[in-house]
Amino acid sequence: MNIDKESLIEVNNLEKHFGDLHAINGVSTKINKGEVVVIIGPSGSGKSTFLRSLNLLETPTGGEIIFEGVNMLDKSVDINKHRQKMGMVFQHFHLFPHMTVLRNITIAPIKLLKLSKEEAEERAMKLLNKVGLADRASAYPSQLSGGQKQRIAIVRALCMQPDVMLFDEPTSALDPEMVGEVLDVMKSLAKEGMTMVVVTHEMGFAREVADRVIFMADGKILETGTPQEIFTSPKTDKAKQFLASVL
Amino acid sequence: MYIPILSADFSEWLEKYKGRFINDFITDNRWKYLWNGLGVTLKITLGAVVIGIILGFLVAAIRSTHDKTGKLKVLNVICQIYLTVIRGTPVVVQLLITYFVILAPLGVNEIIVAICAFGINSGAYVAEIVRAGIMSIDNGQFEAGRSLGFNYAQTMWYIILPQAFKNILPALCNEFIVLLKETSVSGYVALQDLTKGGDIIRGRTFDAFMPLIAVALIYLVIVMILTKLVSILERKLRSSEH
Repeated sequence: MNIDKESLIEVNNLEKHFGDLHAINGVSTKINKGEVVVIIGPSGSGKSTFLRSLNLLETPTGGEIIFEGVNMLDKSVDINKHRQKMGMVFQHFHLFPHMTVLRNITIAPIKLLKLSKEEAEERAMKLLNKVGLADRASAYPSQLSGGQKQRIAIVRALCMQPDVMLFDEPTSALDPEMVGEVLDVMKSLAKEGMTMVVVTHEMGFAREVADRVIFMADGKILETGTPQEIFTSPKTDKAKQFLASVL
Repeated sequence: MYIPILSADFSEWLEKYKGRFINDFITDNRWKYLWNGLGVTLKITLGAVVIGIILGFLVAAIRSTHDKTGKLKVLNVICQIYLTVIRGTPVVVQLLITYFVILAPLGVNEIIVAICAFGINSGAYVAEIVRAGIMSIDNGQFEAGRSLGFNYAQTMWYIILPQAFKNILPALCNEFIVLLKETSVSGYVALQDLTKGGDIIRGRTFDAFMPLIAVALIYLVIVMILTKLVSILERKLRSSEH
């Protein structure tokens, strides 16, 4: 998957303070086009904060994030334009409860990309078919199961045709029997060459799908490497400890 | 206990009340005091509701933007002063100040004065209701909107406000019912609203019972109609979710 080595996101010396808490402490990394990066680490390690910083849901207190050649932290940058190119999937789905599934998916393309209602719905139905939920297009989120909600949330993000997808613990709020259906959608997305940054506790997914695994602890990247390297021969004690507790 | 309907002089009793009724409402077309008064009451209420909604949403937008982003510091302070003053003083005093101190010297029509005074008053209460509604929506909804590329205002408009509105509808309706009834102090600035109309009849006929009960009944009926309309609207909004 890693033939095209063009960098999509470049993070340099990222810092984030919450008051006294130093949540991210000088993180630098590069994410290439088509790469699937999985971030693992103990809770409180700053991995979610790091992910949320990439599309500026958290405002970093220092460093730079170069996305498609533009430093997102420049005051002059229109962050809304760039967020359209970064799909985000949340732990708790955050579907819009007052809209049908179809409206959830099409409102952003219609209002922001100025697609006609027909174009947007055609695009949405294609994606819904892919995730096997075309028959739920006119349902409301409250009528869906957790796994269905998360698949819809993924489709909602995909319908903007983003260049990268950010996943923030997408399966952590799901009942165990629904984790698989969401991971399957993510796997097929990875196969299609989508650039993905995934924060997850699903080590199986990381091992199978990731091109690169990043291990974070205490706001720093302690290790980065192929799944093989991280899972079979971790170098730091923290990583060894963490992997021993989750594997 | 004396129960007139069972007594022999029931017809005499009926005659007496018929006479009072005619004297209170028919003679000299006195019912027109109520009818015209009702018109004035509704005009003031309607005008004040419009001002209250516009002002309330504006203030709520400023306050919650400040709460969420830390921007608009100066405007937020102005809004807070407005809320404190309006909620800390009686509406009659506000009405009197608006009339005698601010607008009467300029020769502004009394109805306009009352609409402004009640509108500005109501705006403060609407603002806090709307702000509570906005704050009650999970921040994740906000983040989901922003992460799709919507700006702050679009996220508010398409995602937060429709959900907030449904939650605050009962409180908002309640505020407007209170407003309708509060306009009954308009008589203080020489306006002949519904309450004043009943009072004028009382002054003419020296009968307090019938005109005041009639005034009360009219308010009651309007409030009941409003309540019914809102419950229909609420049901419609709720059914759109399923």
